[in-house]
Amino acid sequence: MTGSLTAMRFGRHFPLIPALALVFAMFAVPVAFVFVEAVFAPEFSLAHFDRFFTRSVYLTVYWNTLFVSATVASICLLIGYPMALFIVGQPERRRPLLLFLVLVPLWMSILVRTYAWMVVLGREGIVNSALLWTGIIDQPMTLMFTTGSVYVAMVQILLPIMVVTCYSAMTEIDPGLVRAARVCGAPPFAAFRRVFLPLSLEGALTGWSVIFILSMGFFIVPALVGGRRDVLLGNMIVNQIAQANWGFAAAMAIVLLVSTVVLLALVRLVAARFLYSPREV
Amino acid sequence: MKSLTRRSLLAAVVAMPLATAGAAAQDVEITYAGSGGGLAQVMDMLFDKPFAEATGIRIKALATTDRVSAMRAMMQAGNPIWDVAELTPIDYATASLEGWLEPIDWSVADPGNLLPEDAKLADAGIAATYSTVIAQRTDKLPEGKQMTSWADFWDVESFPGPRAMQDSVMENLEFALLAEGVDAKEVYSILATEEGVDRAFAKLDEIKPHVVAWWTAGAQPVQMLADGEVAFTTAWNGRITQLKQEGVPVETVWNGGALKPSYVGILKGTKHKKEAEQYIGFMIGDPQRSAEFAKMVAYPGMVKGLYDHIDPEVGRELPTHPDNIAGQFVVDAVFWAKNMDALQERWQEWLLD
Repeated sequence: MTGSLTAMRFGRHFPLIPALALVFAMFAVPVAFVFVEAVFAPEFSLAHFDRFFTRSVYLTVYWNTLFVSATVASICLLIGYPMALFIVGQPERRRPLLLFLVLVPLWMSILVRTYAWMVVLGREGIVNSALLWTGIIDQPMTLMFTTGSVYVAMVQILLPIMVVTCYSAMTEIDPGLVRAARVCGAPPFAAFRRVFLPLSLEGALTGWSVIFILSMGFFIVPALVGGRRDVLLGNMIVNQIAQANWGFAAAMAIVLLVSTVVLLALVRLVAARFLYSPREV
Repeated sequence: MKSLTRRSLLAAVVAMPLATAGAAAQDVEITYAGSGGGLAQVMDMLFDKPFAEATGIRIKALATTDRVSAMRAMMQAGNPIWDVAELTPIDYATASLEGWLEPIDWSVADPGNLLPEDAKLADAGIAATYSTVIAQRTDKLPEGKQMTSWADFWDVESFPGPRAMQDSVMENLEFALLAEGVDAKEVYSILATEEGVDRAFAKLDEIKPHVVAWWTAGAQPVQMLADGEVAFTTAWNGRITQLKQEGVPVETVWNGGALKPSYVGILKGTKHKKEAEQYIGFMIGDPQRSAEFAKMVAYPGMVKGLYDHIDPEVGRELPTHPDNIAGQFVVDAVFWAKNMDALQERWQEWLLD
């Protein structure tokens, strides 16, 4: 009896095995290697972590990374959510085209898109040339190699992910619910705010989290379009690897990984407590 | 590419009986740890095949990466499977400090004394070079003026315009001291002291506000010069030559350039030290062969007389040309292997400040 029950359970979970094996081989094992690299040099030592948390330069970059990632994710949410809302509101046959237009930039390499921003924002770039020509300015403005240019480039690169995530969450929502709210007398905005918005929040939060995670690992964009202060932890890790300091690079990678996981768990916890609870009642 | 592979395969098949015949005469094979790819093809054609014909010693060229880890493992096992290795500055410095390299008898490798002293280190030879130099947009220079030194690069009054430098402590400290008027020969003895490093950073403070971008990839300074983003920048010499050929008005300032070599060394414990020395001499100590190599890969060696065999138009764009090499200095790889970690940290703090 117990045997057949176990077999049944096994049978039910069996399709998960390939996925788990993939995660184990491609994620868990490499992360374990990185962890070992960080704490054994070759004897067990926390010296790398000690260095990270005692030198101000690393902490400054660490906070900067968290701040930039959260800001980029939030800007993407503010722009991407309305975009997804707009697409969902369109007639069904027009939606694929709009989604296609959102996704086209994803086909281009990040490197190409970043260099393209240099052409747009440069001293002799499109923006400056246009403004000089119209006489709005008489000296080229410094747009490149600023913190602003990092935000512009990162948001442009990551925005499609937000739009697609929000869009797929929104199409899951039964339009009958909003209609029901309207029938029961809710004005259009109230129906949106009290029915549609709470139902789409989880998708929005997922989009925010994905972009936050991706931003935490960015290094090419800030290196190419940022100024000297626009350094993210990813840039530091690349630097250390170039110097063959694998141990310290591994320690920084672990810090990055752990803080991303902890922060996302916190965001989820807070969101579950304050955002979704009305729906569950 | 495909036909080339097929052709080389064919060549290998055809050459096989010959190689076996050679092996019967003198059964020595040297294993060379190189980078593979296009460079290996050039080396095979210019060095390995002719060397085998001349001496009967065969070269087995390997495509290798992360040579430091591999050498460490070989030394721990006490059994080097490579005889000769191509070494980047960091590879060389690590190997040299760890004592993984055989001292080279230059009377064997360079009997004709054709290599300059700078190219003959106790435990390695300099095989190829490139240089970090100042590149200037000639159309952005003030009327009738040309930059000629690091002092000019620092002189923002006489040479106004946005600048870029590499985001790297290595070389920039040297450039700062040269801008102060320090003699290139004394740069590393000054940098060996705390006050010397302070002095270099203080000089860098002066240029910091005028540097709009700190580049991290070799393509960036080229892009920024072409776009007019900066008027003056540090850059790797080969890329500026390319930019010039594309018609952008740029000029290289060789004076004060940081010459960075690629080294060849012999691994400690090899059974073929003498043959390895002969091979190194064959590879880097012959003006004509080195000239052929420089024409194909644009990273010239240092052997005397190399430029007698090169078109002057091509030659004056190369870092070891007699007109260009005089004002340059060779980056001290050992100094940087010892001090990189601490100085890079300070550099990062300085940049964020």
